[in-house]
Amino acid sequence: MNIARDTALELYRVMGTIRRFEQRAEQLFGENKIWGTIHNYSGQEAVAAGVSAHLRDDDWITSTHRGHGHCIAKRADLGKMFAELLGRETGYCRGRGGSMHIADTSKGNLGANGIVGGGIPIAVGAALTAKQTKTDRVAVSYFGDGGANQGTFHEGLNLAAIWALPVVFVLENNQYAETNPVRDAFAVEDIATRAAGYGMPGVTVNGQDVRETYRAGGEAVARARRGDGPTLLVMDTYRYGGHYYGDPQVYRSKEEIEEWRAKRDPLAIARDWILTEKLASPADFDRIDTEVDAAVERGVKFAEASPPASPITLPEDVYAT
Amino acid sequence: MKMAARTKARHESLGLSLEDVVQMYRVMLQTRMIGERMMQLNRMGKAMFVGVADGHEAAEVGSAWCIRKGVDWCVPYYRDVGVALVLGQTAKDQFLGVFAKATDPNSGGRQIVNQFSDVKAKMLSGSVHIATQFPHAVGLALAAKIRKQDHIVVTYGGEGATSPGDFHEAMNFAAVHELPVVFVIENNQYAISTPVKLQMAVANVADRAAAYGMPGVIADGTDVLDVYEKTKQACDRARGGDGPTLVEVKCYRYRPHSSDDDDSRYRSKDELQAWLQKDPIDKAAAYLLQQAVAASRLEDMRQEIAADIEAAITAAENDPDPDPATLTRYVYGEDAE
Repeated sequence: MNIARDTALELYRVMGTIRRFEQRAEQLFGENKIWGTIHNYSGQEAVAAGVSAHLRDDDWITSTHRGHGHCIAKRADLGKMFAELLGRETGYCRGRGGSMHIADTSKGNLGANGIVGGGIPIAVGAALTAKQTKTDRVAVSYFGDGGANQGTFHEGLNLAAIWALPVVFVLENNQYAETNPVRDAFAVEDIATRAAGYGMPGVTVNGQDVRETYRAGGEAVARARRGDGPTLLVMDTYRYGGHYYGDPQVYRSKEEIEEWRAKRDPLAIARDWILTEKLASPADFDRIDTEVDAAVERGVKFAEASPPASPITLPEDVYAT
Repeated sequence: MKMAARTKARHESLGLSLEDVVQMYRVMLQTRMIGERMMQLNRMGKAMFVGVADGHEAAEVGSAWCIRKGVDWCVPYYRDVGVALVLGQTAKDQFLGVFAKATDPNSGGRQIVNQFSDVKAKMLSGSVHIATQFPHAVGLALAAKIRKQDHIVVTYGGEGATSPGDFHEAMNFAAVHELPVVFVIENNQYAISTPVKLQMAVANVADRAAAYGMPGVIADGTDVLDVYEKTKQACDRARGGDGPTLVEVKCYRYRPHSSDDDDSRYRSKDELQAWLQKDPIDKAAAYLLQQAVAASRLEDMRQEIAADIEAAITAAENDPDPDPATLTRYVYGEDAE
């Protein structure tokens, strides 16, 4: 599949934005400016960028506790994201939810979710809405290998298959459910074989190469949009950081991390591909990197200049008015 | 004319004596006849609510025959009258539950009918919630592995129970930890009123097993020997430390889901008639006759069972009701009496 220059550079920009956002979020965390915890998406950028590139603003996603990348790839506002992390009134949830609860229904982002596997039935429900209202909207559910062993996965995939719903299940296999390696959590070699148990296609994808995630995501989204039902995409990927900020990571080796960073970095792979195919020059990357840095800094500035969430308004937004 | 070398009968090649098969038949017939009376008692206004196993007899008896009584654990579901009888419960035990008597072995008259629970028979109390038995069964199997105990666990459910998440989590955990557990799924084609084709997008429940890396086999639920054979292989695998198996037993329930269900609203009489042609009790009887068991023996057996059931109903009706003052018993742990 040939990917045009504009698309290639946009994929690179989205991945770069995610990477830079996460770096700044960790810095802010280190400066004690972030409440609660954060889960870093670095290393997995090609997954969200490649799949969500096929989504319109009226398509839906559900996300996870490791959700910053999904939000950014669904075109979230960086300022409102940082504001949410910093507990500011201008954040997506008025600073009440923090990192794990960023939702933006104006962009079809039904929300990050602190419950592992919790987004899956929500995406299936959204897809049911699309079918019942006879629209061609599509839902994408991002979740991890740990989420795939929750009952919600089973119930969600079964219903989606029976009713041929327009939903794409993106299983981000980052090799660890917190500390538990996939080999201790699955008795099958190829997780994509799970799809056959529901009667839907299951595809294993190199989640570090954005060409692959873009291609597989495009096919699955198109299949859903034309009414042919759900797909399970198993994206092999890796998180560079710990499960959470401060995770001592006694369950994996430094060599393993270095190997993925050195040989399978999604940004490096994308640069190589784009340069090799002469879709852009090094100067183009420099320009994009500068723009990304500036956009992220604007977001941080916006958040830091915003007022903190007021305890007096805490009970607001609990019930519908 | 010389006699041809005698080939082994089916039951012999499975390691069963003819008397074993006669006893299997007896429990199947007993299960059917108990169900008949349970439904009648409901229609007479004597039993609040019942659910019966008609059509499931081979599925339940053939599989439960592989359970070593007093050694293996069994975690059944609410249709498993045949399993309970194989494991040692009596006809009277069933009617004590039907009448909710203080002497009901399952719950002292507290639970709805068929919530089998019996320490002696090693049947673990279930929840009415569909599929919750699977994680319980896996927990018992994990205990066996950790404690290096000899028991395996045989758990039961309908095909409807394979859709809740509990099934998924239990299957995965059992496979990952290679636990000694056998999942017997009595696929009677309907989850209450939902036909199997609206319940799953795959043709067989057994197809789901591959997703967890465990074998999934299909048994003919109208043939008690086939059910025995497939379940026995699965139990042997579990006993050998080779891990879990999913056994799908294809069968059909002749009666409505429960005494409160009207099955004419979701299935046809023709469909029922087609399955009645393959009735598991008729098939077992035909096999026994072919193996030269006397027809009179089978008829006597029917009479004995009928008399036993009538005596059981009378005895159960005469047993005491639970004392309301004891209502809160069994809610929290108590010292054994």
